[in-house]
Amino acid sequence: MKLHDTIDVLIGGYLSKDAAEEDYNAVLECGGHLQGAVIVGKDLEGNLSVEQTDHMVREGAEGLGAIGFAVGLIAPPAVLATTAVGAAIGAGAGELLHHEVKEKLGQQAGETIPIGGAGLIVSYSHSEAEKVEPAVTRAVKKAIGEAEGRHVQALKGAIADAQQKMAASDA
Amino acid sequence: MSQPDRSKLPIRQHRFAGTANRTLGGSQPDWEAIGHVEPPDGAPNVLLVLIDDAGFGNAGTFGGPIDTPNYTRIAREGVRYNRFHVAALCSPTRAALLTGRNSHAVGFGSVGEFSTGFAGYTAFVPDDCVPFPRILKDNGYSTAAFGKWHLTPDGQQGPSGPFDRWPVGWGFDYFYGFLGGGASQWDPCLAENQKIIGTAAEFYDEENPYYLPDAMADKTIEWLHAIRGQDAKKPFFAYFATGCSHAPHHVSESWAAKYKGKFDQGWDKLREETFARQKALGVIPADAELTSRDDAFPAWDDVPDKLKPFYARQMEVYAGFSENADYNVGRVIDAIDELGELENTLVLWIWGDNGASMEGTITGSFNELTMQNGIPLSDEMQLQLSERYGGIDAWGGPMMDPHYSAAWAWAGNTPFQWGKQVGSHLGGTRNPLVVHWPERITETGALRSHFTHAIDVGPTILDIAGIPMPTHIDGIEQQPMHGVTFADSLTDANAPERHTQQYFETIGNRSMYKDGWWLSMKTARIPWVLTPDAIKPYTPGVWDPDQDPTELYYLPDDFSQAHDLAAQHPEKVKELRELFWQEAEKYNVLPLMAPLAGFFGMVPPLPETARYEFRGDVQNVLSGMIPRIYNHSYTITAELVIPSGGAEGVIVAEADHLGGFSLFVDDGKLTHTYSMMGVFVFRQQAEEPLPEGEVTVRMEFAADAPKPATGGEVTLFIDERPVGKGRMDHTVPIRFSGYAGMDIGRDNGGVVDLGYENRKPFAFTGTIKKVTFDVNPHPSTEEARETHKAVHHGHTAHALSA
Repeated sequence: MKLHDTIDVLIGGYLSKDAAEEDYNAVLECGGHLQGAVIVGKDLEGNLSVEQTDHMVREGAEGLGAIGFAVGLIAPPAVLATTAVGAAIGAGAGELLHHEVKEKLGQQAGETIPIGGAGLIVSYSHSEAEKVEPAVTRAVKKAIGEAEGRHVQALKGAIADAQQKMAASDA
Repeated sequence: MSQPDRSKLPIRQHRFAGTANRTLGGSQPDWEAIGHVEPPDGAPNVLLVLIDDAGFGNAGTFGGPIDTPNYTRIAREGVRYNRFHVAALCSPTRAALLTGRNSHAVGFGSVGEFSTGFAGYTAFVPDDCVPFPRILKDNGYSTAAFGKWHLTPDGQQGPSGPFDRWPVGWGFDYFYGFLGGGASQWDPCLAENQKIIGTAAEFYDEENPYYLPDAMADKTIEWLHAIRGQDAKKPFFAYFATGCSHAPHHVSESWAAKYKGKFDQGWDKLREETFARQKALGVIPADAELTSRDDAFPAWDDVPDKLKPFYARQMEVYAGFSENADYNVGRVIDAIDELGELENTLVLWIWGDNGASMEGTITGSFNELTMQNGIPLSDEMQLQLSERYGGIDAWGGPMMDPHYSAAWAWAGNTPFQWGKQVGSHLGGTRNPLVVHWPERITETGALRSHFTHAIDVGPTILDIAGIPMPTHIDGIEQQPMHGVTFADSLTDANAPERHTQQYFETIGNRSMYKDGWWLSMKTARIPWVLTPDAIKPYTPGVWDPDQDPTELYYLPDDFSQAHDLAAQHPEKVKELRELFWQEAEKYNVLPLMAPLAGFFGMVPPLPETARYEFRGDVQNVLSGMIPRIYNHSYTITAELVIPSGGAEGVIVAEADHLGGFSLFVDDGKLTHTYSMMGVFVFRQQAEEPLPEGEVTVRMEFAADAPKPATGGEVTLFIDERPVGKGRMDHTVPIRFSGYAGMDIGRDNGGVVDLGYENRKPFAFTGTIKKVTFDVNPHPSTEEARETHKAVHHGHTAHALSA
């Protein structure tokens, strides 16, 4: 793996775990090389689940799980029935977490993911974007961040960028 | 027996005309003194059936895609009417139907939940317009109503009444059903006579779960058997008003599955197919034309392929739901037949009260109240939310309160334009009527095209029964009915058409019919859009109704309203517009847009009550009557006694997982769950268990600001000590539920927190001494006023779509 790369991170927010899983599987099968993919969901009873495919871990590098991040969710509809029915579909922005293990990721995600919701985070080299991004078709809220640098640094930067874009679209 | 004077009701009791000496010696009994009023000889039984939120082109009997074998059977043995009209909204049609008078004239220009300070919109029937069930009852009929009522204002649907606004007050001896505009078919909050009885016990029977349509038929048949067990001759009047096909569209999979794949062609093609069948059946004239699609509805071809199964499923469930209604009405008719009385039973069966409903918006919704609460959800979001609650195969089951797309409703109104709420066009104002009366109708299977209206039903029934319209009831001089009898058209195709003139008005959409001409005056607002921008044009002083576009149709030549003749006949436009204003004044239609008054600052006085106390045995407080906790800070305080070993269960819960709140104890810990219409679910739990003995707990919601859907912070307290907290980013601005009730000490029906679903109703195992809502804990007078305004806006919005 190159020491310097342009990394993209896609964050998707979903109102159902089924939809997130559909995109997750589509991403895994898209033919693009992923550096990692994480899906985090919370069922209607509040139970959290985390699934992770982390190529970077396999490759001995520091992957998504190690960097850790939870999803920016979801799309709180602007509920202003009679005074301002806005369209502000937007997540509470994805909040990057910096933890080292999946369990920690899950714990943090549990605090940010709404009951019944789910999130997807995918990281990939920018050169793979044309294959990866079209595979994500069901996110009700989506942001893509990008950063350049050494891979871990780039990954952090891309996540931050994605979160910033997510937050900006909530406004 | 001598015939009584029926001109004044109640009919005076027979005065003893015998002889009463000091002893029986020489005394002469008068047996009429112990009798009761009897109807005129030959007065038939009457079964009046009203299907809800259905269109002219839904039932197979009128060319629609839905199998309706019982409706077709009755039509073949009776007569069909293809120019029967309704009021384009639920309650107005029902009020017109049961009073024989124009809906505004009896206070029902809008729905029953919503009262304004204008005469045409009070939701109170004037005492000089007594409904005809009371007339039948006082003339010796047994009367009963089953199913949907929707004629009792919010705030009067509890044990303190007043009950003159309940079915019993309208003249029904017996009522079994629900008071609101819609209800779950699985766990409705039921009313019986003058009591809210809540969720049926069978709801908890997993093997044979409760289903309202079945229960309605069961109760009707049971009632028929009971009255016949007592009196072999007394005629009955049964009003059977289904919750179907109003949302939520609930039906078991076996019914929905019959339509699997039947709607994959989409709504555009479905309209064409229905139209062709209508022609073939002859229920529309051979020269009728299919009206075009308004831009408000997307073309089916423009629906993304991946979403088409989602949309098709919506209609499959609606169709199965509707066929089930036909089945259950058929059971009632069979029961009358089995009694040997179908020959002399007048059956009037109306398939729809306002055209099919477009209130599901274009996307359809997993939860019908998302639209009313102003939650904008894309079709992808709706699909994901349906997946959250079981997937599209669960659409129709108890986990969702679904409503289909407005485009399916439009297709259900084939061949007309528009639908529910649109009083300017036939899609919202014309529904099928079938009349069955074997004893008199000999020209079976005939079609009648007399212009008829819901207000004609009462006069027709009275005419057939030989009962005169009373001049006085309870000493009050009665207004004449506005409808006219069409009884002679049952047996005579050439009977004169008496109903030659009729106004229509629903939320500003209006029309004037006279002698075949129909002037349409539709507002620009799309019925399912309630945004500020959509409302703004109707601001007082800004809106000039006479500047609204007009369309003119000549119905004898143009059955479906396909050809606008306004440009060719400006004098007719002017004439009918003037006539509309005259009628509007006469029947209390004015001011136009009165249902929107709340949006323009005309709100009722600020309620004085800010604290509501409930003792531990209060259950089934209907959703329109719960404390007004929306859009501002509030607290819920409960005084409890926790027994040795602890307690669990619900302290107070409103509605269910698709919108509601629950304060409960689980695993020994105080917990609060709040469902923001099933889109967001928030849960907070105390960090320590409840102590034993007497304890006071409190849930405090500190709103960010008194504004619609405000977010805020939740804090849980035990004896004034904070023990848990959490944030709710959004709250429900208008209404948790259209039907589900609030309970103290349990969570009746569908539960709020699915974590205790398998323990429902999760009754509290300790003692609840009192639960207190404080709905005005902090705000200034100005804030309170603003919040009140916002709440009233919400109430208005609900009223526009109930």
